[in-house]
Amino acid sequence: MFSKIYKFEVKSWLKTPITYIYSGIMFLFALILMASAGGIFDSFTVTTTSPTYQNTASAINDILGGINVFLYFLLPSIVGASISKDFKYEMHQVLYSYPISKASYLFAKFLSALSIVLIIILFICLGIYLGSVFPGTNPDLFTDFNIWNYLQPLLLFVIPNMIFFGAVVFAVVTFSRNIFIGFISILVLIIIQGFAQTLTADIDNKTLAALIDPLGAQALAFETEYWTVFDRNTSYLPFEGYIVYNRILWAAISILIFAFVFFKFKFNQQAIQLRLFKRKAERVIKRNFGSLIRVKLPEASKAYHFKHWLKIAFKHSRFEARYIFKNWVFISFASVTILITLITLAVRTPIYGTSTHPVTREMVDNASSLVSGFMIIITFLIVGMLMNRAKSANMNQLVDVTPFPNWSFLLAKFIAVFKMQASFYILALILAVGVQIYNDYYTFELELYVFRFFAIDYLRVLSWTVMAFLFHSLIKNHIVGFVSLLAFLILLSFFPQFGIEQSIFRYGSGGGSTYSDMAGYGPGLKVFYIYRIYWFALAIVLYLLAILFYRRGVSYSAKQRIERFKNNLSPLFASIIAMSLVIFLGIGSWIYYNDNVLNERYSGKEREQLQVDFEKQYAYLEQLEQPRITSVKIYLDLFPETRDLKAKGVFILKNKTSVPIDSVVISLSDDKDYKEIYAFDKKGETVLKDSLYDFDIFKFDKSLNPGEEVKFTFDMENKPNTLLNSRSPVRTNGTFINNQIFPSFGYRSEYEIQNNKTREKYGLAPKERMKSPLDSTALGNTYISDDADWIDFETTISTSKNQIAIAPGYLQKEWEDGDRKYFHYKMDKKILNFYAFNSAEYEVFEDKWKDVDIQVFYHKPHDYNIERMVNSAKKSLAYYSENFSPYQFNQLRILEFPLTSGTFAQSFANTVPYSEAIGFIAKVDDEDNESVDYPFSVTAHEVAHQWWAHQVIGANVRGATLLSESMSEYSSLKVLEKEYGAKQMRSFLKDALDKYLRSRRFESQKELPLMFNENQQYIHYNKGSLVLYAMSDYLGEEKMNSILSSYIDRVAFQEPPYTTSVEFVNLLKENTPDSLQYLVKDMFETITLYDNKVNKATYKVLENGKYEVTFQANVLKYRSTEKGEKEYKDARGESLVLETEKEELTSLPLKDYIEVGVFGETDESIDGIQKENVLYLNKHLISDIANEFTIVVDELPVEAGIDPYNKLIDTNSGDNRMEVKVEE
Amino acid sequence: MNTLRLQNVSKTYKNGVKALDDVSIEINSGMFGLLGPNGAGKSTLMRTISTLQQPDSGEIHLDDIDILNQKMELRKVLGYLPQSFGVYPKLSAEKLLHYFAELKGLSNKAERKKIVDYALEITNLYDVRTKHVAGYSGGMKQRFGIAQLLLNDPKLIIVDEPTAGLDPAERHRFLNVLREIGTNHIVILSTHIVDDVKELCTDMAILNGGKLLCHKKPIDAVLDLEDKIWGHTIDRDDLEKYETNFKLISTNYNQDNSLNIRVYGDVQPGEEFIKVQPDLSDVYFVHLKADETEAINSQS
Repeated sequence: MFSKIYKFEVKSWLKTPITYIYSGIMFLFALILMASAGGIFDSFTVTTTSPTYQNTASAINDILGGINVFLYFLLPSIVGASISKDFKYEMHQVLYSYPISKASYLFAKFLSALSIVLIIILFICLGIYLGSVFPGTNPDLFTDFNIWNYLQPLLLFVIPNMIFFGAVVFAVVTFSRNIFIGFISILVLIIIQGFAQTLTADIDNKTLAALIDPLGAQALAFETEYWTVFDRNTSYLPFEGYIVYNRILWAAISILIFAFVFFKFKFNQQAIQLRLFKRKAERVIKRNFGSLIRVKLPEASKAYHFKHWLKIAFKHSRFEARYIFKNWVFISFASVTILITLITLAVRTPIYGTSTHPVTREMVDNASSLVSGFMIIITFLIVGMLMNRAKSANMNQLVDVTPFPNWSFLLAKFIAVFKMQASFYILALILAVGVQIYNDYYTFELELYVFRFFAIDYLRVLSWTVMAFLFHSLIKNHIVGFVSLLAFLILLSFFPQFGIEQSIFRYGSGGGSTYSDMAGYGPGLKVFYIYRIYWFALAIVLYLLAILFYRRGVSYSAKQRIERFKNNLSPLFASIIAMSLVIFLGIGSWIYYNDNVLNERYSGKEREQLQVDFEKQYAYLEQLEQPRITSVKIYLDLFPETRDLKAKGVFILKNKTSVPIDSVVISLSDDKDYKEIYAFDKKGETVLKDSLYDFDIFKFDKSLNPGEEVKFTFDMENKPNTLLNSRSPVRTNGTFINNQIFPSFGYRSEYEIQNNKTREKYGLAPKERMKSPLDSTALGNTYISDDADWIDFETTISTSKNQIAIAPGYLQKEWEDGDRKYFHYKMDKKILNFYAFNSAEYEVFEDKWKDVDIQVFYHKPHDYNIERMVNSAKKSLAYYSENFSPYQFNQLRILEFPLTSGTFAQSFANTVPYSEAIGFIAKVDDEDNESVDYPFSVTAHEVAHQWWAHQVIGANVRGATLLSESMSEYSSLKVLEKEYGAKQMRSFLKDALDKYLRSRRFESQKELPLMFNENQQYIHYNKGSLVLYAMSDYLGEEKMNSILSSYIDRVAFQEPPYTTSVEFVNLLKENTPDSLQYLVKDMFETITLYDNKVNKATYKVLENGKYEVTFQANVLKYRSTEKGEKEYKDARGESLVLETEKEELTSLPLKDYIEVGVFGETDESIDGIQKENVLYLNKHLISDIANEFTIVVDELPVEAGIDPYNKLIDTNSGDNRMEVKVEE
Repeated sequence: MNTLRLQNVSKTYKNGVKALDDVSIEINSGMFGLLGPNGAGKSTLMRTISTLQQPDSGEIHLDDIDILNQKMELRKVLGYLPQSFGVYPKLSAEKLLHYFAELKGLSNKAERKKIVDYALEITNLYDVRTKHVAGYSGGMKQRFGIAQLLLNDPKLIIVDEPTAGLDPAERHRFLNVLREIGTNHIVILSTHIVDDVKELCTDMAILNGGKLLCHKKPIDAVLDLEDKIWGHTIDRDDLEKYETNFKLISTNYNQDNSLNIRVYGDVQPGEEFIKVQPDLSDVYFVHLKADETEAINSQS
């Protein structure tokens, strides 16, 4: 019986066109996705490059995962339909009376539908495969075909997930007999998956997320989070740890669900219903008698005019809204949105475990993207349900023959949808304000919420609401309509990849600006509204089309619908459509004209070509010796009201070479933004003027002799700002600009294409990202500037009267002239050619450390952490000047700048611009040991840069940032440690370790050892802080600092050739005892990782009352290649091998000192802060993989560990400690 | 006096079924019965007149309203009850009727209430007006259908197989309501139950296979068959013999398993036959029989 039903079902599926439509669409989708990842669109857009292959097991799993989200949504119409069609066509009444067994019926139904799903998946795989070999793709992006790379994702994830999702849909549809509810259950599962993903933001939740993600994606992410590029390219998906648990868990749930269906299913005619309340039963008798003699309808006036229908639209919108709000699609969606929004708002954006104050800007930002995202999805759904409401109640024939006009009917629905959307925003607002109140924060700024939600976010959602109306008007089946809308949304996001980059061609996009408490929305807001008007005009057209195509009545052929459309098209509608189209096209052409004709616009592809041409044409200029800037005077006028700037500069250039220089390459600002003139006080002429690449070559009549100086002056001002284009970076409040807008000298090699694969494509020779520190010709420039060494600096800035303008240097004079305010700054020492200008309405906080003035310039409401910053600045100045060298300035200023410029802090000479989003609004919890006081640590880091960058600056070669960023990280850690003790150190370092290991897989070219890093953040910040902290731990803090101090002594303020990491590491080596030399090699010169682990730990009580702890631990060490491949052999080709029963362990030969610790019960110490009770902590010399330690301690041991503080780089830091048990 | 005119209306479905085949008819005020077997094209015709469906060709006019091109104008004066319909769940009859009244353009609130109450009254739903319509029995739902159709005081009322599934009392009541309305308006009632037409229609037509077979007043149609229907009681084993030799139009069993047969013939077909009083069923079957024979002949 089973096989009969199964075969019949499969056959009938194979006869329906939907099987082929689904297969075809999914096939095409997969093909395009894969071919696009393989660079098929390279001829339209920028070259696709990737260090990882696109057809490895994990890459294919990713693609399948993405595509399958659609397939999940199709499941209801396959798995669900297989059972529901029997109900729908009333077959069940006949079928259920046949002698078929429940098992064969259910299994045959389920498995046949699943077989069809598998066929579709096969088509997807075929699409992926063909995409990977498609003519025109770049074969470098693919590895050899391997069937396992397909089978593994299928067997581990895709098929089990289909079975699970299928079982849920099958169960839900079997009982509810409603495909749509099956569809909703899929949505809920997808949301759970999304929820699992948001959980992973906190490191501690990753394992929970790995379990509860029904798709298993988070489990995979967890197990492979520290994969390197090499691992990605060579490994199969792991089947271990949480992946196994996750798969077993969800397989078990699938079986339970199916078993539930199996036992509950009965061949009866009533759908199983869940009743919350029992209704009282009542006997009902119909009146069978009585008749009617006369029908005389009372008079009733009728109105068919616009006003009546408008009134009705509003009235019925209430009726439709009630339907939405009572519908549990809405209720479930809204609850999930509330939950996720609440969690997000409560957590906000923690940095190092420290959250922010719930300032309204932060609340709005967090709520906005979340709610709008959910809202577009639910709008797609709800519009479909509303448009088909009468139809699904089978009332459409009654409604359709009434004389209401389509527009009134749709308007009612549109208003109802708006009410739903508004309710989401109001809900978000209430939640946000609730969170603010909960946090004792009472500056609500309601207007900020309302403006963002309704005047910005809603306008974006509006475009999609209208699109939803059109789709659902055209497409009969509202699930098909929904999926089509989703597909359209996703397709749009691929447009830039197809080479369609301009916003006017990408529906609903364009314009946008981040909000800053300091700078507001900025000029981007105007642009946003221009785009909104543009899309709104189109929205009107689309909405009218939705009205005109609205289906009334039954069975329309395409031809009849067009005829109907023509009939409906009244002159009024036609003229509105025409007018809107005129506006739409008008604004569109204006924007197009502005962006493409008035201003030259380059596509990504064209920009790439420009870079290539530039290099091919001008690379010879790199050899040209250039004079160097020795003195800078800037006169800068900022006009915040009109966002304009005027600048005048005087540079002294000096020929520091030993040969005469006859021409200078002058890089200028983009001529579309600035008017700029310049002059030398030495005769000569401009011999080349390249307005495409914005640079000139000026040739002196008489060469500039060695040692000779020349004065270079320039005048510049921005061209007028227009509605669509801002020409200057000046803001109404919170301007932050640096010297990059001024002319610079020499060939700009940083403009060349960096990626070697792209270079190869254009026939350019391979190029290193940075030069080697051993290349003595490369040491002439610092990594900050390539046209100057140390300069004299002086500036006069003017701004509007209510603002303060700041630049490096000391304030000489401050005066007012009319409504302008002037500031004259001058530096008394030479500084790097690296300076910035800030101007805003500032509050000023002043303090002093010794004779150093400390000032914080901040936005008035952001006064939360000023004292922490100042405290940090004092402690930092004290520590650094005591341990490294004296502070070179007598002033230190911290300036807040708008987050519009970014979320970072940056150190200029005696000046530290600091983003409003980092530190100023942090909410530090001093009670919580796990959270770092980052306003303190970031300030310490930036102050450290006054030494590590502004005293010691490395040459522009590999490893330069070891000398600035890593050193500053180390320095700030020491200050942090002094202030907060070792425990905060651990959470800081744990985070650094996690970030370093996680980022390795995203390396775009190659991972390098710390001392050769190419400005790679995960290396110089994260690994750098770990390494230097560990180094100081091994050498002793004092020793370490004395090395640093003598290094500063040697190289501070030096002229070229500049120092390199090699020089520093050599100094380090000289001062490191022989036994620890290996550390320098491991940590600085190579990429070395450990795999340390405690296997067993026991204790016994000794006769003297002490405790003897015995524990076994493995120590494994290996090196990693630049792609992440593990190597266990040392230079002599030797390695350690340990054969155990289970596996063979390999390690580099060991002679390492590794910390071994035993810990007792945690003390409740003063301040309520938990302090670890260290019973034993010492470094042991380890020379074998397997080690046993026997340690006698005084108190009851609780935990034992090897490298218990994770000072070494270890991919699994969780198994370094183990609970100590009593010996049996 | 209103007149509905159909001229050469044809409709062929995608699957090749010719649902309406060159239908032309003129219908005046009063009850009009559209008789036909299942699948004859009745519903298609009704939907077409009700603006729900577009014919492939032809024209339909109600007085001076060109229905196919002035749908809205027709909808203002149309009352339509489809063969089967549902309603929004969890809504009472009263609320739904108000909803419909608004959709039909009834603009004055007080008047709207009056007419809704009246419609509830005459359909005998007033007592259950606050109950959810979705929970009504078949008969109550049909009456609700009538109530909603009356709200705009329609000139043209179209009811599609309204009596199917109603018990005798409900059916009776229902037809009475229709009859009352039908005095001043055009009421088109489609049915496959001859008695429905017999009881209350002033005019009728028979539709089969998309074609109009007969358009006459029921009385005239019956009159036409005067002296042409012959009855006889036979043994069931003889049925085949009679079927081949006579124009058999209907049979029905007696309790003793003998069969009453009715035969059409201009003259007495045989001695054993006696002349019987023709009725509307005979009209119906005579026309279907003739059409069937013709169709078979034209095929062969």
